Amino acid sequence: MALHEQGRAALRALREIGDVEVGQSEKELLYSENKIKLYRYAPLARSLGLPPLLICYAMVNRPYMLDLQPDRSLIRELLFLGVDVYLIDWGYPDGADRFTPLQEYIGGYLDRCVNVVLNKNSVDALNLLGVCQGGTFSLCYAALEPRRVANLITMVAPVDFKTPENLLSKWVQHIDVDLLTQSGNVPGELLNLLFLALMPFKLTQQKYVNLLQVQADRAQLENFMRMEKWIFDSPDQPATAFREFVQWFFKENRLLRGGLTVGGRTVLLSKITCPVFNIYAKNDHLVPPSASVPLGAHVGSTVYDALGVDVGHIGMYVSGKARTTVPPAIANWQLVRQRDRQAHK
Amino acid sequence: MVDPQHAAWSPSPFLKAWDDYVAASQEICERLKDPNANGGGSIPLPIFGAWQEFAKSLGMQSDLNVGASFNPDAVVANLAPALGWSRDYQGIVQRMLEIGGQFQRRYAEFLKQSADISEQALQATRRRIAADPRLALSPAAAYEAWIESAETTYAQAAHGEAFSRSLGELCNLLSAFKVERGKLLDALARHLDLPSRAEVDSLHRQVHDLNVAVRAAASRPAAGERKPRRSRKPAGK
Repeated sequence: MALHEQGRAALRALREIGDVEVGQSEKELLYSENKIKLYRYAPLARSLGLPPLLICYAMVNRPYMLDLQPDRSLIRELLFLGVDVYLIDWGYPDGADRFTPLQEYIGGYLDRCVNVVLNKNSVDALNLLGVCQGGTFSLCYAALEPRRVANLITMVAPVDFKTPENLLSKWVQHIDVDLLTQSGNVPGELLNLLFLALMPFKLTQQKYVNLLQVQADRAQLENFMRMEKWIFDSPDQPATAFREFVQWFFKENRLLRGGLTVGGRTVLLSKITCPVFNIYAKNDHLVPPSASVPLGAHVGSTVYDALGVDVGHIGMYVSGKARTTVPPAIANWQLVRQRDRQAHK
Repeated sequence: MVDPQHAAWSPSPFLKAWDDYVAASQEICERLKDPNANGGGSIPLPIFGAWQEFAKSLGMQSDLNVGASFNPDAVVANLAPALGWSRDYQGIVQRMLEIGGQFQRRYAEFLKQSADISEQALQATRRRIAADPRLALSPAAAYEAWIESAETTYAQAAHGEAFSRSLGELCNLLSAFKVERGKLLDALARHLDLPSRAEVDSLHRQVHDLNVAVRAAASRPAAGERKPRRSRKPAGK
């Protein structure tokens, strides 16, 4: 078929798809505060008897990426494996959140969500899965409240923000974040542009040209539209929390270099003593492996495991390879930790 | 009016426009008082002609002229200092124009960098195809080769200090422009008796502080009441 005819056919097919549904796995709202919502997902299999798993996602993107569609859902895979899954949805911050500091997100909202999960399950500690920026938050939380985290899993989580491969970090060094946040929240559109600029030819050209090859496959087109929806669905970032995150982590790398305090309390990775499972993407252009791998040398845990998956940042959530590798790894790792704990009693 | 003793002095376009405007206003006043003054006839309204000439001197065309371009540097160079009752607003506009000029210059530099990257990417693609002529046989393969070459070339430039600095400066200039724009909008809100940014921010801060205080009070046990001990089973069943 001639190229222009392929293009017309692709556009027609996309128009027929219309709007797409995302994040459709059944869930129950347990707690809400301001824009934040805490969900518990309906079980899909017999429970493994593990501690509840609370997922702390990033604020810079929407968490339905972990439950994009039924056959590309990390959450559904975990549910099928018998894991009890909870998720914090940070929502869409607005002008009312511009003065909310980072300590309120980590030591406030996250802590209160942990409370709810602990109370619901009548346990002292839960398992925490931090994804991307949420992984950084989770590390801070686990360091501040080690008794409340039984096991910590980090996924594509940056720890060292100043490695040579980190292009985003290089760019950020020249941005005056005080000036950027002086006039309010940081628009999600700006973050979208920044992320696209990391690989502009692939992300603004090639992926649309590739549509020509799949225009007859409705399922692939629907998946494309769901990805498209998520990519451009970046929430505005609350000014104060964003300024602090950029300054403390990207510019000053305090998580590794020291001097990080949240709510007046010092955050030291060495205070993390629970078992840690660090999953990273080997081809990650956003959080390169060099940004995640150093975690093992800094935590105080005696049990530390790492898993490098041969995918990119987005592929970690939705690729077939990740789907068959990551959820079983997470579930099995938690099971082993459970047995270790019971064996030591 | 220009002092004849200083006829050799050439006033800035702004001052000339102001001068002409005053002269035109005086003439209108005289004609209104005495319709036969200055030869009689209908009363012209040349008041704004002076400002139109001033605008033209800065490159601003009254008609849509594709070849013309707004030159903020020229505007900034010819502005009078902010004076009078509207000096605050004049100051904001001046800063916006200055920032605009800086942005134009930086953006031109950035575009030049981007053009250089594209050219280098094209050369890299040609080398790639020359090394493997099979790539040229298929449009899809040739396109893939272009994408790979472009991303590789781009990455090399993007990791460089010059590119990072350019991007940062552009971002910072836009941020600065937004701050000044915000001041103008706040002033407009005030004049329209609408809540200003400062008012709303003050409310947000107060609500936030109240929430923190309420939460702290709620977590404290009542007077005479002890906090119940948490009795739970360990993590995992």
